[in-house]
Amino acid sequence: MHKEGKKTALHHIFVIFCWIYAAFSLYPLIWMLFYSFKTNQEIFVTNPFGFPWPLHYENYITAWTKYDVPLYFLNSLLVSIGTVTITIICALLFSYATSRMVWKMKTFTRLFLGLGMFIPVQAIMIPVVKVVQKFGLMGTRWSLIFPYIAINLAFACMVYYGFFKGIPMELEEAACMDGATIYQTFFMIIEPLVRPATVTLVIYIFLNAWNEFILANVVVGSIPALKTLPLGVLFFQGEFTTDWGGMGATMVIASFPAIIVYSIFSEQVESAMTIGGAVKG
Amino acid sequence: MKKRLLSSLVCLTVAATSLIGCGNAAATTTDTAVSTETKTEAADTTATETKAEDTTATSGEKVTLSIYTQYADDDTKVPYDYAVEQLKEAYPNVELNLIVQAQDDGQTLKTLAATGQLPDIYQASTDLINTFRESNQIMVLNDVAESTGFLDKLYDANKDLAYAEDGNIYAFPFSGQEYVLWYYNKALFAENNLEVPQTYDDLLNCIEVFKSKGITPLALFGQEGWNTAAAFDVVATRYTAGGIKALDEGTAKITDEAYVNAAKKLEELVAAGLFQEDATTTNYDQASEKFLSGEAAMFINGQWYIEDATKALGDNVDWMFYPAQDAAAYTAGKAAFSGGGSASGFAVNPDSANAELAAEVAEFITEKYCEAKVMYRHNPLVALNTGKEPDSEYPAMMKKLSDTLPSVTSTTKFTWGLTNSTFNDGIQSESQGLVSGQFTADEFIADMEDIME
Amino acid sequence: MKKYMGNKLAILLFILPALAIFITFDFIPIIQVFAYSFTDWNGLTMPNFTGLKNYLDLFTDRVFFTSNRNQLIFAIVITVYQMLFATVFAITISDKKMNGRKFLRVAYFIPVILSVTVVCQLWSAILSGEGLLNKLFEVAGSDFKQNWLGDRYKAIYVIAFVNAWQWMGYQFALIVAGIKSIPADYYEAARIDGCSNVKAHMKITIPLLAETYKFCLIISLTGGIKAFTEMNILTGGGPNKSTFTLTYMMYNAAFKKSDYGYGLAAASVMVIECMLVMLVINFIFRDKDQKKEEEKARRKRNA
Repeated sequence: MHKEGKKTALHHIFVIFCWIYAAFSLYPLIWMLFYSFKTNQEIFVTNPFGFPWPLHYENYITAWTKYDVPLYFLNSLLVSIGTVTITIICALLFSYATSRMVWKMKTFTRLFLGLGMFIPVQAIMIPVVKVVQKFGLMGTRWSLIFPYIAINLAFACMVYYGFFKGIPMELEEAACMDGATIYQTFFMIIEPLVRPATVTLVIYIFLNAWNEFILANVVVGSIPALKTLPLGVLFFQGEFTTDWGGMGATMVIASFPAIIVYSIFSEQVESAMTIGGAVKG
Repeated sequence: MKKRLLSSLVCLTVAATSLIGCGNAAATTTDTAVSTETKTEAADTTATETKAEDTTATSGEKVTLSIYTQYADDDTKVPYDYAVEQLKEAYPNVELNLIVQAQDDGQTLKTLAATGQLPDIYQASTDLINTFRESNQIMVLNDVAESTGFLDKLYDANKDLAYAEDGNIYAFPFSGQEYVLWYYNKALFAENNLEVPQTYDDLLNCIEVFKSKGITPLALFGQEGWNTAAAFDVVATRYTAGGIKALDEGTAKITDEAYVNAAKKLEELVAAGLFQEDATTTNYDQASEKFLSGEAAMFINGQWYIEDATKALGDNVDWMFYPAQDAAAYTAGKAAFSGGGSASGFAVNPDSANAELAAEVAEFITEKYCEAKVMYRHNPLVALNTGKEPDSEYPAMMKKLSDTLPSVTSTTKFTWGLTNSTFNDGIQSESQGLVSGQFTADEFIADMEDIME
Repeated sequence: MKKYMGNKLAILLFILPALAIFITFDFIPIIQVFAYSFTDWNGLTMPNFTGLKNYLDLFTDRVFFTSNRNQLIFAIVITVYQMLFATVFAITISDKKMNGRKFLRVAYFIPVILSVTVVCQLWSAILSGEGLLNKLFEVAGSDFKQNWLGDRYKAIYVIAFVNAWQWMGYQFALIVAGIKSIPADYYEAARIDGCSNVKAHMKITIPLLAETYKFCLIISLTGGIKAFTEMNILTGGGPNKSTFTLTYMMYNAAFKKSDYGYGLAAASVMVIECMLVMLVINFIFRDKDQKKEEEKARRKRNA
């Protein structure tokens, strides 16, 4: 018991550190919000960090009038949801087959797909756009969704692989003895067990698709009806100068939906995880 | 539930297998001859489209032309909006689909070109013109320039800006000859009892005084390579009028005494603290705000900045002739400016469904850009003689520049006017090293020599 | 059982969708990248085969060595930072006694949600010459002012920190999810044995999450090797290319110098480096995997 006192002192310092780090992580939100109400002069010289006063809310009006925010928003949403859904389905199935099922070449196949993690978008951009054109996807939202899936797939498969590996083999043995087909086993028993991974991946892939700029600019940059939110920043970059306040407003408009989605979703994360735990128990 | 999942799975797989089939076929062909294939493909589609479009165009129906250009600050928005307005009257059946240009070193445009999706009209720099010329993705505009009277309106001094190296016209330039100006804050100099520096010794004295007052002597936006290259060029032109232009064209070598001296001088100035310490990570807006708010005494930028500087600082801002090693060199150097025109402007995609019309429209827009720049941006240094008057008097700095220009005997180039892309990349990053104060003049010379081999 | 888990049709159905998309939209382009790296392609014209020229040029390029050094520093910094903090915070958050753990969990993840542009803008404001950090030192009366992002040798560490700071939250989330998937009775058993909380985690969490850690290691290391965006926004690769990476070289060569072939050679080298790292990690973890299996079996027998 005499150790307790010492431990709590250390423990308190550690807890304080945890909270300071959290504040440090939340700071960008406040900073971004402030930033979006400032002019270039305030951002760079007079008031880089303080509260914005007077409020230059016209940055938001400019952003709203320069481009069709609701339309871009809808496009971003559709593309992100499409990407997430298909990526998750493909990755779940693929990783299950490569981690738990028994066949030759499975390690090779897994590593082969893992290759996708290493290639920078800038390098494969031209070939990818050509493939998209070959399939006649240009001018549709699929022109973004398929490349995004391909980009995220390797990552998702690796995450799932780790989780599948950790599940005891007895589950399938039992299911097999109960007479369930492999499909039933997978969808009814195994898939619910990796829900925590699914939820973290959904968030991650959604954010990747939501924030992607380079490919979107090339593929749908010339099609006003299909543009996504990150492309909005282009309306603030001049030949030499940039309207940073307006860009801030655009970034707030683009980021806050993601933050709201995450806050709602993170509640779901918690409950999904407890359900997963209950199944196991 | 189970059944639905299964059936959708089967659907997916069927779709996937068909994808793979196509994919493999594509792989074998793409590896051998990608560019030709896509090119013919693009040509095929445009050919059919042209037929369709021709009928619509003649029947007076709307034609939409896509245009890739900048549209953000007043310098880019005002001319564009004016041009669009004028276009409505002159070409009521033409509508523009604006694609906003990204600050990305031409990445977007090059990718669009590589995948056969070039917009009908696009803003092309010298580098892009030279690249696209080789792949026939930029239209020869000689005839259109003739028929629309573009050549008649072009100032004699700007003739060379219209023609590419092979003697053809590929783009309609709207900017005329441009100049690197060394701006300074008159009020700050007066407050500190400083004269406008004529020699580097004067300049060193100014640096010392400003630094002791906590004022940045010269705010450089060194994150942009062109600004650091310009900083080198304003020194280099004091030693040899050719500056970076001569290096670009290969008529001079970086190991020539003049350039070595220039590099050594710049190194000395940097060491004395001419630029702010974090110059190489400063962007344009940061540096400009520093200068306009009186935190920095001097600034190096193009003459297009006159309008903004005057708006913010009024009578307190002026530009000076670049300081030189001694009084004689200073006086002699007044005729040698850094900067110059660049063969760049609105170009047309030859594969466009309405290439001819797009060319006419491109010429029209170029004219209107010039008019708007003269009338609303008070910048008479445009490519064309517009016959327009500005809506208010020219700023004092512009008048001073206009009075000086007749005696200017030589200019160099901005980095976007350079033709050797290896040299261009090299000078931008090496000059950045030099102004950072962390690379010596010897390193600079050695590396540049290495790059040019 | 072997037949059950070796159902050929099921395997085919399971792997096909992913493979099809990967091959079409990723693998074919990668093959092209390799193919073009042996040519003088400028992105537009017909490429001419130039053999190993691009690679030979690359190996004599001063920037190539800077880039590799930077990637190595970057990879090490982000790996250490992310794995350390992610583990510590994940264990803290998983302790049901910790107050405000839900809030903390959301907070640590926030930087991941923001786009790289926002995060880099923030940090460039904090780290600039007259930025928040230098001002803090000034207020504290210290003359420890630094040219954080403009230093030829030190800037890379600072950029690596920014990246590590942003993406720590993701590894944190993965480890939290991993801990959740560990049955609670393991911990209870440890507690009954008299293990402290920290000790229990050292003994249970970290070994059981070996696969997750392996994965975290791979994303950190390869993330470091292919870093680009942070440099592009924070320093523009400067001063004088001293914060370049191979991806940056690729970008610079392809789009600034219209020398696509050369750029793709740099990209190819980078991909090979990433693959080597992944293989090495797999090799290192291979033995441990087997050991873990054995231990699991033993534990099962005991229970």
